[in-house]
Amino acid sequence: MNAMAQTVLIVDDSLTVRMDLAQAFESAGFEIILCSTAADTRAAIKREVCALVVLDVVLPDADGIELLKEIRSSLPDIPVMLLSSEAEVQDRIRGLKTGANEYVGKPYDTSYVLSRAHQLVRQSESAMILPRNTVLVIDDSPTFRETMRDLLQSRGYKVALAESGEEGLRIAADIRPLAILVDNVLPGIDGGTVVRRIRFDAALRATPCLMLTGSEDKGAELRAFDAGADGFVRKEEDIDSILARLTAVLRRTEEQVEQATTASLSGPKKILAVDDSATYLHELSDELVGEGYDVVVAHSGKEALEMLAAQKVDCILLDVIMPDMGGKETCRRIKATPLLRDTPLVMLTSLDEREAMIDGLVTGADDYISKSSDFEVLKARVRAQIRRRQFEDENRRIRNELLQKELDAAAARAAREVAEARAAMVDVLERKNSELEAFSYSVSHDLRAPLRGIDGFSQALLEDYSDQLDPKARDYLNRVRAAAQRMGELIDDLLQLSQIGRAEIKPEQVDLSSLARAAVADQKKHEPERQIDVHVQEGVNAQADNRLMRVVFDNLLGNAWKFTAKTASARVEFGTTIREGDVAYFIRDNGAGFDMAYADKLFRPFQRLHSESDFRGTGIGLATVHRIIDRHGGRVWAEGAVGRGAGFYFTLPSERSGVHR
Amino acid sequence: MSRNSIILLVEDNPDDVELTLRAFEKSKVASQVVVATNGEEALDYLFATGTYVGRDPKSMPEVVLLDLNLPKVDGLEVLRRIRSDPRTRRLPVVILTSSKEERDVIASYDLGANSYVRKSVDFAQFAVAAQQLGLYWLVINESPQTGRERSDG
Repeated sequence: MNAMAQTVLIVDDSLTVRMDLAQAFESAGFEIILCSTAADTRAAIKREVCALVVLDVVLPDADGIELLKEIRSSLPDIPVMLLSSEAEVQDRIRGLKTGANEYVGKPYDTSYVLSRAHQLVRQSESAMILPRNTVLVIDDSPTFRETMRDLLQSRGYKVALAESGEEGLRIAADIRPLAILVDNVLPGIDGGTVVRRIRFDAALRATPCLMLTGSEDKGAELRAFDAGADGFVRKEEDIDSILARLTAVLRRTEEQVEQATTASLSGPKKILAVDDSATYLHELSDELVGEGYDVVVAHSGKEALEMLAAQKVDCILLDVIMPDMGGKETCRRIKATPLLRDTPLVMLTSLDEREAMIDGLVTGADDYISKSSDFEVLKARVRAQIRRRQFEDENRRIRNELLQKELDAAAARAAREVAEARAAMVDVLERKNSELEAFSYSVSHDLRAPLRGIDGFSQALLEDYSDQLDPKARDYLNRVRAAAQRMGELIDDLLQLSQIGRAEIKPEQVDLSSLARAAVADQKKHEPERQIDVHVQEGVNAQADNRLMRVVFDNLLGNAWKFTAKTASARVEFGTTIREGDVAYFIRDNGAGFDMAYADKLFRPFQRLHSESDFRGTGIGLATVHRIIDRHGGRVWAEGAVGRGAGFYFTLPSERSGVHR
Repeated sequence: MSRNSIILLVEDNPDDVELTLRAFEKSKVASQVVVATNGEEALDYLFATGTYVGRDPKSMPEVVLLDLNLPKVDGLEVLRRIRSDPRTRRLPVVILTSSKEERDVIASYDLGANSYVRKSVDFAQFAVAAQQLGLYWLVINESPQTGRERSDG
């Protein structure tokens, strides 16, 4: 299943060259367009989509390098191979600096040109179709896919979307994404299988994969790492932490990218020959080109360094004796450049230059050869050097791979340990929770019964033996009863407080106004004789748990009622206001109030600001309110002054943040 | 045949038994209260088994007042067995317990309790509740058993 044939634009004023290249490219399966002038070329480029341009440096109507500049300004990514009969080293350097991907001297070796053409086209394909920042998102939920796409795009990533594992694998093979985010649960093959297949694919193996899951399934995390995922994210987590993990796995793989882009082992080899003798260079080039190498020449050490800055080569042949910068100094400088250090360097010497040669080796040359020896010997040495370099590269790659594997294994082990520790912690937490639940259940059953006995038998004494008790004894019994009942209330309030900590919040549309009215009615029923001016703002709604909000209103209005008991014209109000940009709901009264210095204390359990004889209470009500609002993600606070009433304010987040499914 | 006015009280706490009996006494609702101190005993009474072999199993109490926290067979299990036996399927059962845990309330109604009353710490309130219970179940409520016996006779 080959893609459409790719088009190569061949620009040369020589008919012979055009025909020769046309034949070579056509037989290699390319479509070709032939141009002989810059004008033709400009038109062709506007008309056609080309995969590669082969461009002669000397054209009848323009300078090839100027034309290259034009092409680059409109098509920055298209690979361009310059052809030149110009022996001038400066032309080559200029061409490469203008943005040519390759510079081939004439007469060229056709097989070299074709082989480089294939390489350039392949590289640009991967570079163009997969700009290195495409993230592939595989998820069957369109909502989630689109949310992720928008977010990733806003962070500068390109995004490809797939709705099934199969589609995701196809896209991954085509675009080689920078990273893959894959849902654990998918129709067809699941996320684990996707990751496993990516890991089996030689070309995709190194792609970082993040596994997403929406479930509370504890095993999902372990399975994700078993499948070979680099990370694991719950969809409930907010989007920032998903992005943070993505960045983290990308950072881990960035170092590998550098190695992956180094030249392939089987590609054509380029040799830089440096000699001040043009004659010798010419002779040497012919021999090497005949061996299938591409030869780049430089006439001085300075030129050689310039050339190496513009172009990587596979081997350097360096004359020892040159004017200005000699071979020894050139060698030293090359070996001092980190990116060039590993390029095999062979010194060319004459017999009487042994000392210079030894100096060269000391400076870091890999080998030396006498200029007077047979070219066959030289070619063999070059082959050996290039092969050695390849082995070294290969060894380094294997070493790095092994190291990376070890690192990956260690990371996977660590991740696994974290996952296991987390699972164990969840277990412990669940056990503690159920212990707590059992405890409060037995409290609610068993602590109350003895109290009922204390109260009941005291009452029985008062009723049945009243004539044998003096007033003091009756008073004591009444106190026993009051204490027992108060303890009953405390138990009830504590239980409620602990239940609220565990209760599931079920948000729904709640009519707060009617909750306020119901709580007011409840208070009126208990104390029908009290005259209180009540104002309830109508039509106040919020997203909240109805049952728990009822507890909030019962407590806050109960308090308002209680603390206005000694106020002449009592007034209680429910309404809304805006505080710091949020809607704040409030219940205010003009009762006893409190000292703002203790405002924080109010919400702690058992903290009371009034004595029991002034206002009865357990001191748990506001702690309960605090916990309920807290569990909703809102804030609660109090404002007031002694003798001038109290106001209790709370906020409820209108929309919970995070991704919802 | 007149109503036998028996109340079966299933309660393991002797203080609660004493206080409940006292409350019924005070309420002056004429009745005989049979006390079972655990779930097994309650079932034995209803089905005339164990220590209650020889009791006429056709004679059923007007109402069962059932605590939930019971030794041996717990209250919910007693309720389940009452509802699954054809002889007691329609027997009025009132849960009388300290707990007001939502799960207890829900489980009780799901298993077919007729009513759920929480025992208050305040004896006065409890006495009022007991009085109302007696009045309602023994006087106002038409029991399935009375209905059947009437149609039989």
